[in-house]
Amino acid sequence: MISTGFYTFVTRELKRFLSLYNQTLVPGLLTTVLYIVVFGKSLGSRIGDIKGHSYMEFIIPGLAMMNAITNAYSNSASSLFQAKIMQFLDDILITPLSGLEISLGYIIGGAARGFINGILVLVMGLLLTDISLAHPVLIVVELLVVSWAFGAVGLLVGIFAKTFDNIQLLVNFFLTPLVFLGGIFYSIDMLPPLWRNISLFNPLYYMINGLRYAVLDIADTSPVVSFLVSVAAAVIFTLAGAILFSRGYRIKE
Amino acid sequence: MTPAVEIKGLYKRYAGGVEALKGIDLVVGQGEFFGLLGPNGAGKTTTIGVTTGLVRITEGSVRVMGYDVVSQFRQARQLIGLAAQELNFDWFFSLWDLMILQAGYYGVPAKIARKNAGRLLEEFGLSAKRDVKVRALSGGMKRRFQIARSLVHEPQLVIMDEPTAGVDVELRHMLWDYLRRLNKEGRTIILTTHYIEEAELLCERVAIIDNGRIIADGSPAQLMAGIKRDGLSITVEGWSDQAAAGLDGYDYTFKDGRLRIKVVQPERRLADIVTRIAATGAVVNDVTIDHASLEDVFIELTGRRMDD
Repeated sequence: MISTGFYTFVTRELKRFLSLYNQTLVPGLLTTVLYIVVFGKSLGSRIGDIKGHSYMEFIIPGLAMMNAITNAYSNSASSLFQAKIMQFLDDILITPLSGLEISLGYIIGGAARGFINGILVLVMGLLLTDISLAHPVLIVVELLVVSWAFGAVGLLVGIFAKTFDNIQLLVNFFLTPLVFLGGIFYSIDMLPPLWRNISLFNPLYYMINGLRYAVLDIADTSPVVSFLVSVAAAVIFTLAGAILFSRGYRIKE
Repeated sequence: MTPAVEIKGLYKRYAGGVEALKGIDLVVGQGEFFGLLGPNGAGKTTTIGVTTGLVRITEGSVRVMGYDVVSQFRQARQLIGLAAQELNFDWFFSLWDLMILQAGYYGVPAKIARKNAGRLLEEFGLSAKRDVKVRALSGGMKRRFQIARSLVHEPQLVIMDEPTAGVDVELRHMLWDYLRRLNKEGRTIILTTHYIEEAELLCERVAIIDNGRIIADGSPAQLMAGIKRDGLSITVEGWSDQAAAGLDGYDYTFKDGRLRIKVVQPERRLADIVTRIAATGAVVNDVTIDHASLEDVFIELTGRRMDD
C-alpha cells in the first residue's frame, strides 16, 4: 500500500518539474520541431524513404526517445543534487520515509518527465507528419520503461555528483553520443558491417529500435530483445541507485 | 516511563577520521525541557544528527520513546520534530506548500495538515507570507518558519538546534515563551545552544558536552552548586581581627578592603553575615551577591571558556 508520505514525496517531485514547464517541457519540444524541420524537411528529401517511411517519419521515434532519456535523467539528477547542495535534502531524510521510498520518488519524478516529453514529441510528430501509431500500448510501455531506467541513472549520478558539471558531463560525453550513435537519424542497416556490429553494443540503440517498432512497425533488431534490454537497464539502475541511497552513500555522513 | 531519548555508548567517527562522539550515555525523560550545552564542534549537532537519522552511527544505540532510531526508524522519526541550525529550504515552493508537504511526509492527513499549517503560520506571524517563497523572507522570518514547520506534524519530541542563533532580542523572547508553552503542553524539548543564559533560563536539566564527551549532567542548580562559586562580596570599612573572629564557620578571604565569602544560597545568609560584621564595629559599605553560572561550571570542568 502506498503511504501518505511516499505519495506526498512523489507529488513534490511531479509538481517541481510541472511548475517549471518552460524549462522542463517546452525546450525539448522546440528542439524536436527544429530537428524535424532541419533534418526531416531539408535533408530528408535527399535521403528518400527508409523501410517504407519518409525520413521525417523515420526520425520521430528516435527524437521521442532522445527527449525521454535526457529529460528523465536530468530531472532526477538535478532534483537530488539541488536538494543535496542546498542542504534541504535533510528535510526529507529526517522523515519516516525509507531510503527506498525516497529513491523511488526521485525515479518516478524523472520517469514522469521523460515519459511526458517523449509523448509530446510523438504528438508533435502526429501533427507535422502523416505517421500513425502502430502499437500504442507498446509505445506507452517502452517510453515508461526507458524513462524509468534513465530516471534511475539520474538518481545514481545525483548521488555521486559533487558539482553541477558532473551531471552535465554524463550528458555531454555519454548520453548524447550514445543517443546519436543509437540510430536516431539512420538505420544501422545503412552502416558498414564494422560500425553496424559496434552499434549492437550500444544499449540506447535497442531502446530507440524498440520505440521505432512500436510507432512505425519497423525494426533493425528484434523488438523483444530491445524491450528486454530496456527492462534490464531499468532493473539494474534502480537497484543500484536504491541500494546506494538507502545506505546513505554520499547522502549521510 | 519510557525515556523520550535514551543514548547508550554512542560513538561517531566521520570518514576523515574525526571522532565527533566518544561514547555518550544520556537519558532525557518524557516531558523534560533538556539542554545540550557545549562549544562549537563539541558534538551537539552530531548527537542531534544521529537521533534524527541524518548521521550514521559508528557504535552504540539511540532510542526515541523506546524505538531504535535505526531498526525502527519510522516510528522513531514520526515522533521527532527538528528545527535544524542551518536555514536551508526547498526553494521551489511557497511557505504554505512547504508546510503541507512536510506534514504529508509524516503521513498527516491533508485536512489536519491544512489546519496545523494555518494555525502555526498564524502563531509565528507568517500568515501574510504564506504564498511567498522562503528566499523572500528575512533571516528572523526564516527562523520562525523553520520552527513552525518542525511542529506541523505535532511531534512529541521537539529538537531545536541553536534556535536563537543570530535572532534579535524580541524574537528570542517570543521563541522562549513559545518553547515554554510547548513544554507545558507535555512535549519533550531538547535545546542545543551555546548561549549559557538561555539554558539556565529554560532548561530543567542540562548536559554539557565537550570534545565528544558528556562532562556534566544535571539541573542547572545542581551543576552550579557543585562548583561552589556562589557567595558574597562585601566592601568593609574598619576590618579587624574581631571582625574576622565573628565570621568563624564561613569560608572567606579579605583583601584590599573587600571581603569574599563562599556560601551556598547567599541571599539567605546575607542578613546573618552583615549582622556579625556590624556587631564588631566594622561598617558594611557595599554588598554584591555572586552566583555561579553554567559558564563557571564549564570553566571548572574544562579549564577554558565556552566560546574559546
